[in-house]
Amino acid sequence: MSVVSIPPSAGATPPRRTPAGRIAPGRAGRPGTPPRRRRSRIVAARLGGGLAVLVPIVLISSFITYSLGALSNSDPAATILGQDAATPAAVARLNRTLGLNHPLIVQYWNWLTQAVHGNLGRSYFTQIPVAQSIAQRLPVDLSIAVLAVILAAVIGGSAGTIAAIRRGGWFDRGVTVVCSAASTLPAFVVGIILVVLFAVTAHLLPANGYVGPSTSIAQWLAHIILPSLALSLAVSADIARQLRTSLVEVLEQNYIVGARVRGLPYRRILVRHALRNAAGPALTILGNDFPLMLAGAVAAEAVFSLPGLGQLLLQSAQTRDIPVVQGLLLVVSCFVIVVNLIVNTTLNWLYRSDDGIGT
Amino acid sequence: MKRLIGPQSVLRLPSARIAIVVLLGIAVLTAFGSTLAPQNPLTINANALFQGPGAHHLLGTDYLGRDVLSRLMAGTRLSVLTALEAVGIGLVLGTGPGIATVFLGRWFDFAANRVTDALMTLPYIFFAVAVTAALGNGLVQAMVPVGILLAPFFFRITRAATLEHARAQYVEAAELMGASKLHVVRVHVLRKVLPTIAVTTASMTAAALLAVSFLTFLGIGVQPPAPTWGGVLSSDLDYLAQAPWAPFIPGALIAVTVGALNALADAFRDRRGAGTLAAQPGPIIRTHSTLEPADDDRQSQVA
Amino acid sequence: MPFPRRAVRRSALRDTAAPFADTAAPLAGTSVRRSAPRHATVRRSALAGAAVLALSLAAAACGSSAGSTAGSASSATAGATGTVNWEWELPTSWDPVTSSAGWDVHALGLVYASLTMLDPHGTVEPGLATSWKYAANGKSVTFTLRPGLKFTDGTPLNAQAVKENIERGQKQSNSNIASELAVISKVVVNSPTSFTLDLAGVDYQIPDLLAGKDGMMVSPAAFTKNPGSLPTHPVGAGPFKLTSYVPDSHADLVRNPGYWDASQIHLANFTVQSITQPEQILAALQSGQVNVAYIAGNQVASAKAAGFKIAVIPSEVVNELDIQTTTAPFNKPDVVKAINYAINRQAILQVQASGYGAVSYQPFPKGFVGYNPALASLYPYNPAKAKQLLAQAGYPNGVKITLSTVSTSDSLAEQLQSQLKQVGISVTIKDIPAATETQYLYLDKTIPLAIDGTAGRNSPVEMLDVLYSQQGLMNVNGKTSTTSTTVTQALNQALTVPLGSGSYPSTLQKAVSTAVTNDPIHIWLYTNPRIFAYSPKVTGIPYDLVQQRWEGVRVAG
Repeated sequence: MSVVSIPPSAGATPPRRTPAGRIAPGRAGRPGTPPRRRRSRIVAARLGGGLAVLVPIVLISSFITYSLGALSNSDPAATILGQDAATPAAVARLNRTLGLNHPLIVQYWNWLTQAVHGNLGRSYFTQIPVAQSIAQRLPVDLSIAVLAVILAAVIGGSAGTIAAIRRGGWFDRGVTVVCSAASTLPAFVVGIILVVLFAVTAHLLPANGYVGPSTSIAQWLAHIILPSLALSLAVSADIARQLRTSLVEVLEQNYIVGARVRGLPYRRILVRHALRNAAGPALTILGNDFPLMLAGAVAAEAVFSLPGLGQLLLQSAQTRDIPVVQGLLLVVSCFVIVVNLIVNTTLNWLYRSDDGIGT
Repeated sequence: MKRLIGPQSVLRLPSARIAIVVLLGIAVLTAFGSTLAPQNPLTINANALFQGPGAHHLLGTDYLGRDVLSRLMAGTRLSVLTALEAVGIGLVLGTGPGIATVFLGRWFDFAANRVTDALMTLPYIFFAVAVTAALGNGLVQAMVPVGILLAPFFFRITRAATLEHARAQYVEAAELMGASKLHVVRVHVLRKVLPTIAVTTASMTAAALLAVSFLTFLGIGVQPPAPTWGGVLSSDLDYLAQAPWAPFIPGALIAVTVGALNALADAFRDRRGAGTLAAQPGPIIRTHSTLEPADDDRQSQVA
Repeated sequence: MPFPRRAVRRSALRDTAAPFADTAAPLAGTSVRRSAPRHATVRRSALAGAAVLALSLAAAACGSSAGSTAGSASSATAGATGTVNWEWELPTSWDPVTSSAGWDVHALGLVYASLTMLDPHGTVEPGLATSWKYAANGKSVTFTLRPGLKFTDGTPLNAQAVKENIERGQKQSNSNIASELAVISKVVVNSPTSFTLDLAGVDYQIPDLLAGKDGMMVSPAAFTKNPGSLPTHPVGAGPFKLTSYVPDSHADLVRNPGYWDASQIHLANFTVQSITQPEQILAALQSGQVNVAYIAGNQVASAKAAGFKIAVIPSEVVNELDIQTTTAPFNKPDVVKAINYAINRQAILQVQASGYGAVSYQPFPKGFVGYNPALASLYPYNPAKAKQLLAQAGYPNGVKITLSTVSTSDSLAEQLQSQLKQVGISVTIKDIPAATETQYLYLDKTIPLAIDGTAGRNSPVEMLDVLYSQQGLMNVNGKTSTTSTTVTQALNQALTVPLGSGSYPSTLQKAVSTAVTNDPIHIWLYTNPRIFAYSPKVTGIPYDLVQQRWEGVRVAG
């Protein structure tokens, strides 16, 4: 969710999706292994290509992030010193200490090299190291995002599977309707509805606050279940729809029909063959959405008053605490990049051998 | 050649018809919302706090006794216009380079794709709030970054569509016959790509509307007492003890509008049938370089 | 230019923090209160109390003393039963020296006994000390302690312990009460039950001062051994003893049989629970999770409907606007008057507090010694007059102003905006982050007009000083203009009159009216009572103006 995710069109979306980021060499000349030398060249090209892609992305996004601070009309030295102490001399001295007298590109490079070493600077306002503030809050959003992914997989996965098996039935139709509704509801609206239902009306679960898992696992779950649920709903809907579509298609394939004819247990066919082959596109959605869920957790934080990155972001935006804002943006975008790479690589690896699916 | 889409054919879908009615309603509210509002959205009534929906206040009153219906009607303009602002920015920044990149050579394509990838790693909410931190808080400031982050979607979809058409045989034929590149783009490519852009615009407007609602919900760029959808929702959340039903109203309004836009986009997409490009949630970063293997890919496609 | 409001709304109420303490402990807070309406402004300004600057004191006078009464001791210990489960904000620290919110005094009072106490009307009476006597020149005061007092860890609570406590409050590097104790130049131990405070100047408010956090006695054994543990493991000699504490969640306490007034404590156990969402408080009452809860005015009706009893306890909390009368357009006295007349305080009270509380034009609530009845209707709502005053001031076509607020007071800001608009004053609402408010409003003094409030002080003169004196934290003019000598003199006058003397009330009230009318830097709005909804099984909740106490409270089986 959240990064302006295009609500992936309604059920009508063509089921033909290749697992993420997969190069489709199949088109070039379907399998028959290429000569060894050519293959190694392709591998090298891919690796080189990957780096050639990754490095500029990181540089560009971090540069955008850093230059935001330079664009800002805030005066860090004055902020740090406070009104009384901000004499011109003191401001100049502090600017030198902060390195703000260098050209932007030099400042950026210094900042980036420091960041690579885990030093994101200090908050102008509280003087607390930015990395420390972020590290303190990251677990909140990670907890929510991870649980949301699990919930989305479980809810969306089972709904999609059952709908596909009983396609045309009331459950299938129900899932379709619920999915259409769910994908138009933004997470913060879902969150509020959950608060009203579970906390205000039914008093079942706490509606705000956060308890770390080290304090109490049960309390931790009780506090993050509603935010995670709010966050996972739209993704669950996408997964259910996608899984239903591809599962229906796979179930009609000859080999499934064949397996059934051969009398293999339906459950085994479903799990071993159908689901395995149909899960690709749904897993892709899940994988791509996971890093975005971290950002989406901001919505959940806002509704459930959780002390996460989003609250830190809003607080520092208010106080124009540029280093914190920059640090947050950098960490979140790097998180998106890294998780995305991992997810794509995993999916590629998982589906390396069955090019046939979905193409 | 058969026209790709016609509004008439789309309108045959009931979902599209409903969606259009909803969107027309929203358009009317955007233009005349404050005029049509039954009461002054700013009038405070100390004797009518937190009233439920009733004859006098169709959707009840808020924490200052103001009429919720009137506030939502009056708040439509700001919410919708800022969403359109973001979409406009995204459209301009995304489609131009999206078409151009196909004709400007590999290096431009590579650079444009990397900027696109980089932008897609920035979650909009973080980016928008960060921009307001740097440039000062305001809805306009907040929607510019959202527009910038919408641009990659326009870019990718236009690029893909353009690529498809630009490599089509009839375009090659036109080029062989000596048509200028500009002419080819204008006559052959642009016309074919426009429907795709239209569909994307509808989905992106939905996304932008969600973004603006969420930003105003967070209090970004809201100048009280001016009402916005997200702002109304936000204050409702603070008074759940008094009026637990209240957030459902602006929530439903946002959901219905977003749903209508999505339904419309879907309807267009459906009518256009298979083979057209759907707005798929592709990977945020494409791990392959457009310089190397993809180029291979392209050649093989043409070959 | 408004700032993101939602974030603040959550964090503002945390209100941790004296301005500098801020830097030490900030972003870590794990629970953030959501909706403010309950005690927004109050707690925010409470922190001002923690940071009160040293007061300059001067003048001369005579001696005073207060009668002594000993708690009628004995009995009742065996009869202590029942538990009060109190919904209330947990303190920023269980150590009175490092606690950074004035609001904390209510929770700290459970664990600590103070040297003196304030009666329900805010008049000082004996606490750990049975009596005190000022020297003739008013520059020193000798206290007599009850004999045989002990902290809950067994350490004797004698004059030496008091000396160590006061010196710790003055010297500990992160002390938030050092400035208030600065007037004490030396503590002399005369005997185990007698000590003398030498003062830097004449100050007859010391007994008042020692009724609050400044006078709360902590076991010296605890703070000499490990002062770092006090914020979570307090050791005092108060009515209860803390047995377990989960920050941001709850604190469990048991009755302290060694409390000097233990015969009045009929509760065997006590818990403080912090429920961060207003909409859940009623639910907590209904489920029995708490049996006394602090609620907002607009929750009273539903609490009553649910069968709970309501106590509307007058408090020293008053909501107001800070206004810099040195900044245009407020430098024209008529503009300030116009604003005063343009505000319909009754309507505000109705909307903001459902009518609980009272319209106010001065810093003290009715019933308190400092309340001046002559100011009871200083600026009656009169929009016509406001318009006329504006025209006189040279703004016949209205004027544009900016009102700053921490978004907890959104609703109040919007209502003020709407009222002022009717007389032609168009208001832009500017949200300021709670975290920076203290800095900009109180220390830098760069905010011309802001929604604020005061939580009161143990000493009324100290309160006036904070509000109006040259160096007062809440005197927003403090940097740009000099407090008029009339006001300064009136304030000093009040310091030099002994608390018990017959002329004290009139002198204090005169200081109030002098300050309010000569220096209109605070636009007083309404008083904010402490409203409890409680189970019918709970009886005897005292109506304490300043610090909530629990003597005499019983909970039926």
